[in-house]
Amino acid sequence: MCTYVNGPLIVQSDKTLLLEVDHERADDCRRAIAPFAELERAPEHIHTYRVTPLGLWNARAAGHDAEQVVDALVEYSRYPVPHALLVDIAETMDRYGRLTLSKHPAHGLVLTTTDRPVLEEILRSKRVAPLVGNRLDPDTVAVHPSERGQIKQVLLKLGWPAEDLAGYVDGEAHPIELDEDGWALRPYQKQAVENFWHGGSGVVVLPCGAGKTLVGAGAMAQAKSTTLILVTNTVSARQWKHELVKRTSLTEEEIGEYSGTRKEIRPVTIATYQVLTTRRKGIYPHLELFDSRDWGLILYDEVHLLPAPVFKFTADLQARRRLGLTATLVREDGRESDVFSLIGPKRFDAPWKEIEAQGYIAPADCVEVRVNLTDSERLAYATAETEEKYRFCATTATKRKVTEAIVRRFAGQQILVIGQYIDQLDELGEHLNAPVIKGETSNAQREKLFGAFREGEISVLVVSKVANFSIDLPEATVAIQVSGTFGSRQEEAQRLGRVLRPKADGHKAHFYSVVARDTIDQDFAAHRQRFLAEQGYAYRIMDADEILAEN
Amino acid sequence: MSTPATPPRSLAEALRTRDDVSLAALLRSRPDLITPVPTDLTQLATRAGTRASVVRALERLDRFTLQTAEALAVAADPARYDELLGLMAGDARDPAVVDALPRAVAALREQALVWGADDRLRLVRTARELLAPSPQHPSPTGLGPTVAEATAGMSPGRIQEIVTAAGLPSTHDSVSAVAALTKLFTGRRRMKALLAGAPEESLEVLNRLVWGPPYGQVTADPAARLRWLIDRGLLLPTAPGTVVLPREVALHLRAGRAHRATEPVAPAVETKVTHRPQVVDEAAAGQAYTALATVEELLKDWDEGGPTVLRAGGLSVRDLKRTAVALDVAEPVAAFWVELAYAAGLLASDGDADERYAATPAYDEWLEQPAAQRWARLAETWLTATRTSGLVGGRDTKERTLSALGPGLDRSAAPEVRHRVLGLLAGLHVGAAPSAESVLARLRWERPLRGAGGAQRSAQEGTQGSTQGDDDLRSRLARWTLNEAEMLGVTGRGALSAQGRALLGAGKGSAAGAVVEGRLATTGGSGTSSSSGPGDRLPVHHHNARPPTPTLPEPLSPAEQSMASAAAARLLAPLLPEPLDHVLLQADLTAVAPGPLQRPLADMLDVLADVESKGGATVYRFTPGSVRRALDAGRSASDLHDFLTAHSRTPVPQPLAYLIDDVARRHGHLRIGAASAYVRCDDDAVLSEILADKRSAGLRLRRLAPTVLAAQADPAALLDGLRAMGFAPAAESADGDVVITRAHAHRTPPRTAPEPVPDGPPTPDTTLLSAAIRAIRAGDRASTTPLKTTPSPTGELPRTSSAETLATMQAAVLTGDTLWIGYVNAEGSASQRVIAPIRVEGGFVTAYDHTADEVRTYPLHRVTGVAELAEG
Repeated sequence: MCTYVNGPLIVQSDKTLLLEVDHERADDCRRAIAPFAELERAPEHIHTYRVTPLGLWNARAAGHDAEQVVDALVEYSRYPVPHALLVDIAETMDRYGRLTLSKHPAHGLVLTTTDRPVLEEILRSKRVAPLVGNRLDPDTVAVHPSERGQIKQVLLKLGWPAEDLAGYVDGEAHPIELDEDGWALRPYQKQAVENFWHGGSGVVVLPCGAGKTLVGAGAMAQAKSTTLILVTNTVSARQWKHELVKRTSLTEEEIGEYSGTRKEIRPVTIATYQVLTTRRKGIYPHLELFDSRDWGLILYDEVHLLPAPVFKFTADLQARRRLGLTATLVREDGRESDVFSLIGPKRFDAPWKEIEAQGYIAPADCVEVRVNLTDSERLAYATAETEEKYRFCATTATKRKVTEAIVRRFAGQQILVIGQYIDQLDELGEHLNAPVIKGETSNAQREKLFGAFREGEISVLVVSKVANFSIDLPEATVAIQVSGTFGSRQEEAQRLGRVLRPKADGHKAHFYSVVARDTIDQDFAAHRQRFLAEQGYAYRIMDADEILAEN
Repeated sequence: MSTPATPPRSLAEALRTRDDVSLAALLRSRPDLITPVPTDLTQLATRAGTRASVVRALERLDRFTLQTAEALAVAADPARYDELLGLMAGDARDPAVVDALPRAVAALREQALVWGADDRLRLVRTARELLAPSPQHPSPTGLGPTVAEATAGMSPGRIQEIVTAAGLPSTHDSVSAVAALTKLFTGRRRMKALLAGAPEESLEVLNRLVWGPPYGQVTADPAARLRWLIDRGLLLPTAPGTVVLPREVALHLRAGRAHRATEPVAPAVETKVTHRPQVVDEAAAGQAYTALATVEELLKDWDEGGPTVLRAGGLSVRDLKRTAVALDVAEPVAAFWVELAYAAGLLASDGDADERYAATPAYDEWLEQPAAQRWARLAETWLTATRTSGLVGGRDTKERTLSALGPGLDRSAAPEVRHRVLGLLAGLHVGAAPSAESVLARLRWERPLRGAGGAQRSAQEGTQGSTQGDDDLRSRLARWTLNEAEMLGVTGRGALSAQGRALLGAGKGSAAGAVVEGRLATTGGSGTSSSSGPGDRLPVHHHNARPPTPTLPEPLSPAEQSMASAAAARLLAPLLPEPLDHVLLQADLTAVAPGPLQRPLADMLDVLADVESKGGATVYRFTPGSVRRALDAGRSASDLHDFLTAHSRTPVPQPLAYLIDDVARRHGHLRIGAASAYVRCDDDAVLSEILADKRSAGLRLRRLAPTVLAAQADPAALLDGLRAMGFAPAAESADGDVVITRAHAHRTPPRTAPEPVPDGPPTPDTTLLSAAIRAIRAGDRASTTPLKTTPSPTGELPRTSSAETLATMQAAVLTGDTLWIGYVNAEGSASQRVIAPIRVEGGFVTAYDHTADEVRTYPLHRVTGVAELAEG
């Protein structure tokens, strides 16, 4: 098997591709398969890619043809590629482009086909019927402009993706420049902006701390038009504003905040998901924001958190450029595909470890500390109601002791203690003599505490899940997680992200997850860690006794 | 070869003149002739002329040979070779046909379908009957009856009219008139002259009928353009309102051709793409490896209780679906693997009362063999099996669903088609992948009557007869063959692999194609171009330099086939990936085997981890469940650690080590067993004493704890046993209380008291009584009143004709008489009634019914008869 024996790639019958990372041709191979295969898992030795119809169609949209895909597989494959798979790839890619959405000078948005039976087939579908208008000629049918997103989504589900050539509106022009003074976009950020701009709309996936805000700023500088930025909460909105003022030619006056407290609409407006989804008397009063200006670009921060109503609004915004930013496109509700079809396909994705290798995020030491429940706790745990079980084991008293021990171990460093349950956090705050930030803490108080933490005035901060997202704590080097939102994978990743910003002194970050052994806490922890483990973060497991013994 | 002195007068005589080689060729191509062995050549000839045998032989002809036979069937009997050539090649003498015809005639002769010298070619009578046109069975040639046939039974006067109209002198009798007419129609020049005078529209009519069907409808008063033709005998009436174009006229219009299109040369199998031979072999080997893995996976899946056998035999649709999901393939593909394993004897029904499918002992032996040999066994099985998985999911003639492993999947044509398809592939260049359509076209050419599709079909239905149900079976079989060959790795990327060639017994190397043809030429026996070849000892046309179209391959004998399989296995062996002895362990609790694993390693990993993804590599995932499975299988944690360390190229990730330790720590912590009773006692000395006592052996006691014994004997036996040993045990209830045993009244569940059984029927109430009396009286009246019309003896229903019934009824309406009627109700039970009719209309009689004591309406048709009652 002389031609194949040296390939780094193994093509599996379930359309996953296994790439041997240590292989000398691994990098070439990675570049060759990246256009059409999704990176699914990136642990230490073998990376898993998956070939999906969506990926193949995106590759077609980006100008790759089936032959290139097949060539890439055959060239790098260690074993003969199953013929059926090659045929399937060719057939799948052939489905793309049979239908096109375009602008007709007289009829507005139209759906055209090069293959009449396909049009007949999709027009017969019940889900397509309400979205289209008159049949203009045997190959063309009018589409209601407002249904552009909807019809694309439906056609994708029917397996006949439409090529969208209708283009984007430019929106109201507004000069925005990057202010690259003493810093510059990192190569991968540039690449991400470029990929996004070339593709028109889409999602950029970058690890926490890898500078997603700058990708957003870069995209705005490309668009040079009015921009609507949707973020998760007010603190995050302020940070976006701060960062934009610092990194771009935009001034404070040009940036508006549209939140519960302030309702400013300016050339660049930052709104929170919460205010958009506020519902009064069955209507969403703040939806007009989308129409209040002729936005040229809409930015979705933390797109994995996009609430369901926003999906619906987004479907109506298909003529505007959309950029989604996220660290972890894993949604426990499985709506990733909605994100792809409504905001756009994944335009850029970088494995965490790759960014780490380039030095842009700090290397992290992930440790799972297992504490034993005492005999009486075990008995209480066994008798607890099912819905109380997690709370019980996640807040066991031993965790407090272990947390204290870890804090002592890293005394002098900036330490975050993150948890889910307020009483547990209050108790920890009391014992560690540290301030607690939780939902009821006022924004002013929060910013004051964050400031103090940044300045190093306080070295330990206890935070609830309010701090999960987009708080910028540059010098936190240790994070201790005592409890979480059950098995949420992206929460785990976001929390690790709190300590991944590169340290000034090149310090290693430490992430401790304290878990009660032999309880569902441990099962949830295993699930939570899955995403990071697949990104190559190998958790070390320690016994609580080891940590306690050290002190 | 020399012409025998006297020409043979019958098929038997013709056979007698043939030499042994030639007879052997006949018997080889028509093996049904020697089962049982005929006593002499006359019997052989008789048998060769039977309908069943001739149909069989015709079905095995290729398209051109069949067309030749069809042409002979419409030619004179006997026919000259020239005449046949004219029918086949037309007046233009198509050179390809001229070249090919001798071969076709020789093939027909060899098969004893045609006999006689070139000047007297005779199609055997049965074949002629089957192929000659008749109104019921139109010929594929689209030709109608001859003038002589069509005019048989026509009045002599009419015939003379036609002759005159055609411009011929009248004759004395009809026979000579018909002969003259025939002569006119067969003479090209005179016919041309005749038609030159035809009106344009009449020629159009002829053109419509010329290629058949030759029959047309006419009205009683035909239009002028038809009239012209009918008058001259160019259209002859066959039945009232129907005319036919006589064969001679059609042939003239067709320039002598019996067939619109002849296909003297087999359509070539087109090459779609050509791959490098190495690519083909490797792709096929990859697929072969997958095939082995799939079969193993299938049977492993069925290791612990396979699916149950349906009552009618076979696998239920649901089980097939489940299997397909387990194998991650489509259902038809799953059916293929299941059937293949079954055909190879690797799985069978276990024959238990609750019948299930399971692997056979042969499977275990098969597993021990090297991979290449395992594949060869599957491939050989596939090549020769008559079971056809492609039919699964379809329906049989009785509309029953055909299930995998079930009955009704055998198709005797399957091995031959598989052989032939692969043979065609082998005839191409090495590495060439043909287009499926051209392969199918070729197969249809070779066996037009079996699985004919499209245009020819409708015309041939007459001769198809028994094969109707198998419609396009050969084409379907061929399609399946191409698919299955690819799945099995006999072909790779659509081209026959080296190992596939070897499997066909085609020797080694690239010359395989030629070898196939050579072998076939000698064993298949169509050596028309060689004077020593088999065939009739009759003139053979040596000018035919074209190599014979490859005749159909004979499947190899079992011994040859097993040698061929061994050769294939030898070729495959170096192409299969070498099993690995290591895996890559990763911190996300997965292990990746970057290739096939050595069997013990694979077996162990299958237990220790769940398979996540299959293909060239295997991805395993470790879960608490999978680790526990390994521990359950008797492994200890340290075994597992050692195993992983030994087989991992990389250090064992800490989370994995923890997982194993965690599961092992809790594994077996709780122990569970079954006991029927226990003995407990605070004094462990007493329990020791019991255990030490030999008499306690029968109670099968075991000490679980210092103060507890478990017993296999039930509590009562234990009590008795211990009492017998001199102890005084007390029984304990489930709650731990001492059970007080004392005499205690036994009670049944709630029961109802028995109903009294009275002596006779209950006393009737007044309503019932009055109804009864009324009925009795009515009956009495009927039986005692003297009848006006006497017939009916007592007890029998009166019977009168319906006219009489009606008359009597109408009379009774007028007179107000009471009638006695016989009546059959809707349930068909007969009764007698006494009625006084009030009204008769619309088929109903409305009357006062004395029996029922009310006015009722009866349909007259239900009244069997009527009798008048004397007024009483």
